[in-house]
Amino acid sequence: MKHFTKLAIAAAVAGVTAGAAMAQELYTPNLAYRTGPFAATGIPLMNGQADYLNMLNARDGGIGGIMINAEECETGYSTEKGVECYEKTKGKAIVTQPWSTGITLQVLPKTNVDEIPILAPGYGFSPMMEGTTFQWAFNAPSGYWDGADMIVQYLESQGDLSGKTIAFLHLDHPYGKEPIPVFEKMAGDKGFTFEPIPVGLKEMQNQSAQWLQIRRMRPDYVVMWGWGAMNAGAITEAVKTKFPMENMIGVWWSGHDADLAIVGDKGKGYKSISWSFPNMDAPVMADIKKHVVDAGKSQSNDTEMQGVFYGRGIVISAVLAEGIAAAQAEYGTAEITAAQLRWGLENINMTEERINELGLTGMVAPFSTSCSNHTGHSGGWMLEWDGAKFVKVSDHLTPNVASYQELANTKAAEYAEANAPWPTNENCGG
Amino acid sequence: MLKDIFITPFADMIDAPDFLLQVLWEGLVSGILYALIALGFVLIFRSSRIFNFAQGIMVVFAALTLVGLHAFGVPAWISVILTLGVMFGLAVSIERIVLRPLVGQPDIILFMATIGITLFLIGFGEIIFGGENKVMITEELGIPTDSVLLEPWGGLLILEEKDITAVAVAALLVIALLAFLNKTRMGRAIRALGDDHQAALSVGISLQTVWVLVWFIAGIIALVTGIAWGARAGVSFALEVIAYKALPVLMLGGLESITGAIIGGLLIGLSEKLFEIYWGQPLLGGNTETWFAFVLALIVLLFRPQGLFGERIIERV
Repeated sequence: MKHFTKLAIAAAVAGVTAGAAMAQELYTPNLAYRTGPFAATGIPLMNGQADYLNMLNARDGGIGGIMINAEECETGYSTEKGVECYEKTKGKAIVTQPWSTGITLQVLPKTNVDEIPILAPGYGFSPMMEGTTFQWAFNAPSGYWDGADMIVQYLESQGDLSGKTIAFLHLDHPYGKEPIPVFEKMAGDKGFTFEPIPVGLKEMQNQSAQWLQIRRMRPDYVVMWGWGAMNAGAITEAVKTKFPMENMIGVWWSGHDADLAIVGDKGKGYKSISWSFPNMDAPVMADIKKHVVDAGKSQSNDTEMQGVFYGRGIVISAVLAEGIAAAQAEYGTAEITAAQLRWGLENINMTEERINELGLTGMVAPFSTSCSNHTGHSGGWMLEWDGAKFVKVSDHLTPNVASYQELANTKAAEYAEANAPWPTNENCGG
Repeated sequence: MLKDIFITPFADMIDAPDFLLQVLWEGLVSGILYALIALGFVLIFRSSRIFNFAQGIMVVFAALTLVGLHAFGVPAWISVILTLGVMFGLAVSIERIVLRPLVGQPDIILFMATIGITLFLIGFGEIIFGGENKVMITEELGIPTDSVLLEPWGGLLILEEKDITAVAVAALLVIALLAFLNKTRMGRAIRALGDDHQAALSVGISLQTVWVLVWFIAGIIALVTGIAWGARAGVSFALEVIAYKALPVLMLGGLESITGAIIGGLLIGLSEKLFEIYWGQPLLGGNTETWFAFVLALIVLLFRPQGLFGERIIERV
């Protein structure tokens, strides 16, 4: 029954946003996935995103006095539907949020022609960090290669990696393959063995073969790049095969509270690198409760709001809002264009003070973007499942970007060449 | 290369027999669950010539109903009974609203109707239950969740008690189904409809009753499958893709054969696991389970187009 209520709320919110569409507004469509095999991970993220922007609309009258219309277009995480959604929404959009590495790769060349910025926080094509080549693409505050580097840094802090074996359990999908070049490079540099183990979409919930391989391989660590049902499937198998949980680390999309809740105490020690952290005491949470939840405009619930993914949704919308605010200040207009938002996204400066000012205390680390740096490289924290929730177990980790900057430049150049003519921004000073 | 294909895998099997046993056990567990899903398809196809595209979403719907009812405070076993009631209601609704008006229409129309049922159940299920991953009520149902550790030949064999339960329940369900189909009047009516529609109708077998019954049995199978798979990685709409694993089982075993579904499921479960571990991972980079079963089924179809146990259709021109 509560989902009927949610549907009614969604319809009401949609009605309000549709009404707003008639008036002056900024249209920031979200290619969401609340349905399909990955819905379990998509829903809290989308709820966090929507609640933050609804809170800004309710509390501040939008951003810079103009309301935000963050209409969702449902993709079900399907690349084909994602491209359809992009085409459907691009007319008046000032940004596109593709929400899948597969969709990002498909719309990347299109956005260059349509001149609409892609905002893919913490996902997408990692060489997008190279803003000179990828003028219209942003994945701040952190990219997959940052995540791979921070995981290896953390493992090194536990002991020398030379001679060790790291099994890389990943979704057999563009997303899962994204960090492989950096891991392979680091394996060469640091002397560890890197063993990729793919998991097919139909095998997400039955990974016995992959875990038999892990049992035979006896790796020192398992690093996971999983998504949706794959995360719960892997963690269940890890418990079953008695793999030491403390030696298993997932990327930020493999650190969802609901996935770990399935194994509960047996998952104690499992880790996940993350560039965001839920903080129920942060002022932004009180504002969301007051202006969105209590007003009956949220689709979320108490348990979900305490989770990592809901908090991350908030941070993602805050990154977008900061880009919009920066552009509005620069161009002296509230009704900014897509091109002006691109400038804004290139000039985000999330200092510790600004994070506190936004009420996001402890939820994201400071970062800044520039014309040439579209990722920001905020770094993050190693989180650990304590049986009931994720807790921080490391100080702030910072990626060693210099170690893969050259690789990013090379991959970006290869991409530009393969998609020639590919306009680049040679005016980037830094 | 030839050594890697013809010698090394077998040497590995002999070298680590406990590991081989583990592989076979995992293959058996997967296989019996594939067989269970395939049985749902076969029962409906036998009695109505409908390829039920909705079998996968029925697994999700049954599991979500069970977990959803329990979340509302209904005791676990009462939730099971109520879920069976919901699946019966679904079977009656499908027969009344979808199938009955389409009697006599070409098979492809009925197939398309099951796609419609799938889409409806996805939307309806998401409205009622939401898309979040839910924890299967494994312990509440009294299903043990510990592991049995054995040490054959000084090695290690891990048997999950919930997998043992799944295998036992699936095997019992299959035996009960076979007994029902072969020993009861209604079971014989289902088989008669499968053998000859017109002849069965002419002796007074009620098409409507049989259709409701087979869709309800498919619902029971969906619930058992949903509990078994849901206990592994939670209950979400991702469970739907599990049904696609039954397609090569049907190609291999034949669409009409209950024996084919069981043997086909076991054969595919065991062979895909053995191939993945001893040939796929070392030689092809792994993840061969996504295609191996289809290749195996296609090879069988080259020699037996009706599948291993399917009926040979001879049409005179």
